[in-house]
Amino acid sequence: MSFFTKVARTAFNIKARAPARWYATEASASTSGLRLSFVLPHQTIYKGVEVQQVNIAATSGDMGILASHVPSIEQLRPGVVEVIENANATKKFFVSGGFAIINPNSSLDINAVEAFPLEDFSPEAIRANLAEAQRTATSGSSEEERNIAKVEVEVLESLQSALGSK
Amino acid sequence: MSFAWKAAGISYLKYTQICARAVRNALKEEQRLIAQRRDEQGLKFAKWESGKQGELKPIDSAMGNVSV
Repeated sequence: MSFFTKVARTAFNIKARAPARWYATEASASTSGLRLSFVLPHQTIYKGVEVQQVNIAATSGDMGILASHVPSIEQLRPGVVEVIENANATKKFFVSGGFAIINPNSSLDINAVEAFPLEDFSPEAIRANLAEAQRTATSGSSEEERNIAKVEVEVLESLQSALGSK
Repeated sequence: MSFAWKAAGISYLKYTQICARAVRNALKEEQRLIAQRRDEQGLKFAKWESGKQGELKPIDSAMGNVSV
């Protein structure tokens, strides 16, 4: 039996059974906006709230998420998550890290370890901690201590610039 | 896709914990006190050998490396 008849026969048989495979449906024009759930292990900041846009600091770059965004999973770097609820209300949070999951149904889940509004931070504490971390990063006693300090320097510098450009 | 912390030998979990701790310590006074309570780990462990419990050691949240 030639290859083509074999394939044609199998194709015919498949058509007779229930479909075993689905293809992605086209994204329907969403009438609703972006649904945001922004949660921490110990606190829920937003749960299923409709917002206009969310700007996140992902490891792959800064992104602005609107409704009907391409589905994606993004790792967040320590940085600012900006929630634009509507034209008048914008809230900024500094996030220590986590993940943002953009779902096909225009819902966005942000899971972070720690997140606080920018007003909750103390610039003096940041300056002091940054100075100490920079010191340990160069003159720490063990490789591990230095690496930990380098991570802290990165986080604190990002925090400092977030507060600076408020 | 290689990350800086992976190259430095730190796991992702430890990396996120370090970042979280750095953020907590940068807060204003009252927020910080509440947040730092989340950092404490009251976990202790002891190695058992031939039926006898060894020394009870706490897990240090700062370093996190458990040396048995």
